[in-house]
Amino acid sequence: MLLHLLKVDLKKLTNYRTFWIVCGIYFISLALLTASGWEVLKFVGDKVADLGAKVNFSRVPLYHFPDVWQNLIYVAGFFKFVLGVMVIISVTNEFAYRTVRQNVIDGFSRLEFILSKVMTNAVLAGLSTVLLFVIAFITGLIYSPELSFSEMINDIEFFPAYFLQLFGYLSFVLLISIIINRAGLTIIVLMVVRGLELFIMYKALHIPESMAFLFPLESIEALITLPFQRYWFQEVLDHPLITTVLSAITWTFLFNYFAYLKLKKSDI
Amino acid sequence: MFIAQRFTKDFSVKLCGSLCNSSNMETVLSTNALTKEFGRLRAVNQLNLEVQAGQVFGMLGPNGSGKTTTLGMLMGVVNPTGGSFTWFGQQPSHHVRKNIGAVLEHPIFYPYMSGQANLEVNAMIKGASKASIDKVLEVVGLADRRGDKYRTYSLGMKQRLAIGSALLNDPKVLILDEPTNGLDPMGIAEIRDIIKKIAADNKTIILASHLLDEVQRVCSHFAVLRKGVLVHSGPIDDVGKGEETVEVIAFHDDLNHILMQFQGTMSVKRTNGPFEVKMREGFSAGDLNKFLFDKGVVVTHLLTQKKSLEKQFLEILAESK
Repeated sequence: MLLHLLKVDLKKLTNYRTFWIVCGIYFISLALLTASGWEVLKFVGDKVADLGAKVNFSRVPLYHFPDVWQNLIYVAGFFKFVLGVMVIISVTNEFAYRTVRQNVIDGFSRLEFILSKVMTNAVLAGLSTVLLFVIAFITGLIYSPELSFSEMINDIEFFPAYFLQLFGYLSFVLLISIIINRAGLTIIVLMVVRGLELFIMYKALHIPESMAFLFPLESIEALITLPFQRYWFQEVLDHPLITTVLSAITWTFLFNYFAYLKLKKSDI
Repeated sequence: MFIAQRFTKDFSVKLCGSLCNSSNMETVLSTNALTKEFGRLRAVNQLNLEVQAGQVFGMLGPNGSGKTTTLGMLMGVVNPTGGSFTWFGQQPSHHVRKNIGAVLEHPIFYPYMSGQANLEVNAMIKGASKASIDKVLEVVGLADRRGDKYRTYSLGMKQRLAIGSALLNDPKVLILDEPTNGLDPMGIAEIRDIIKKIAADNKTIILASHLLDEVQRVCSHFAVLRKGVLVHSGPIDDVGKGEETVEVIAFHDDLNHILMQFQGTMSVKRTNGPFEVKMREGFSAGDLNKFLFDKGVVVTHLLTQKKSLEKQFLEILAESK
């Protein structure tokens, strides 16, 4: 049943050239930039060396197991905006063309319509996760000086967290797309809303950092913490916190539920 | 013009004769005090409608009288403010909708997809077979343009694709909302032919329109809405009952005077050309002809003017004010 809904939505998207272009940009840039990071750093190091300074990046185990998992996942998090734009286009198109109306007339329930979009979100998040796993695995194999199984599976829990992060983010995108209905405005809102949340959290409400995980977008972002301070000998969080995970799951559910409620109440 | 009207009248009678299977009436649609408010505007007010199986049901009303809002509620895209309705005696659900083909307002499709791909999406939603796509494309005459992008279609083709899509699941009921809006005469004729074909297939059709001529041509029953209120509902055959007007031309100097002597005459009017005799109830053109013949007047032109739906419609609207 869910598979059927997914097929319907994919049928709409795979016939849409913009979908291939945006997804192509997303997956190719995600793959290239995460895979080539080391070569880029080496290149920068050489250039700096030419100028007389001596920087040796090779001592920094960016691509060694298990660091490579969290490092690449953290960087990959920046790309999700592109995926978000794709979801915005997919959902707001249905309102611009009024096809959501025709879908319901033809026999979709509103819940089925939302679920078809949710399923696509899950597929996009899943594909990203798989792609990133493959890239991190291969680059880890190439760059790690020695391979041990325990090192390789260490920190691997970041992958479910990454999936949750993407899926939660796309669920939020689905919600604002359903509320706003217009592509341009929704993209602008998506761009500013995270800054707005940070402002409310720390400037308006002055909440302590320990409570931050309760906020919707913060809970999603906090699933994958910045890993790079470990290279200058600071503590980093090398696993997602269970409280953050629970908060993110709750918000993800609410985003999708509110999207359904909004659609259910409106005349389309 | 009157000849044409009489012909179409005959046609609608025939159509009804073949469709109105009065022995086995099944209620397809029943609404009970259906109401929709947009803020302070009451778009549909306490609407009670009944549509029986096999009827070609015309919904008439000026623009903004609530036709599309009503159909939107019946198809689940507009949430009613109050009242209820049933399809086939069942509570409305998306499962029921799969067996109703509907085109509301304009055709709606994904412009970037071909006609074929659009129908594939709709067939998946309705749970219709892939084979039905070929069939409906044939019915609406779009088989050779199926591979072209929807946005390249002319308005007439878009309308036909929409009707084709509505037919996908071989629905028992077809809802068409202004299916000939904005079409050229050729396009209108094409759509009308398709509707006739479908009606002959024993389907129930609900047709919303403000083109009265169109409704009179194809419908067996009609309802009139005004500002969201149902002001009339009944069979089309009733149109034209009641007093008649008879046109008379005869070469006689004192025809006006003689016509006035006929006991069935209510009034006589002459604009230009024929005399128009308004008859009392129970008298027909035959009685008048006999009377004139007995008076030694031979008529060269005698024609009963049937009341057109248009006239009746305007009367109903005027009465309801």
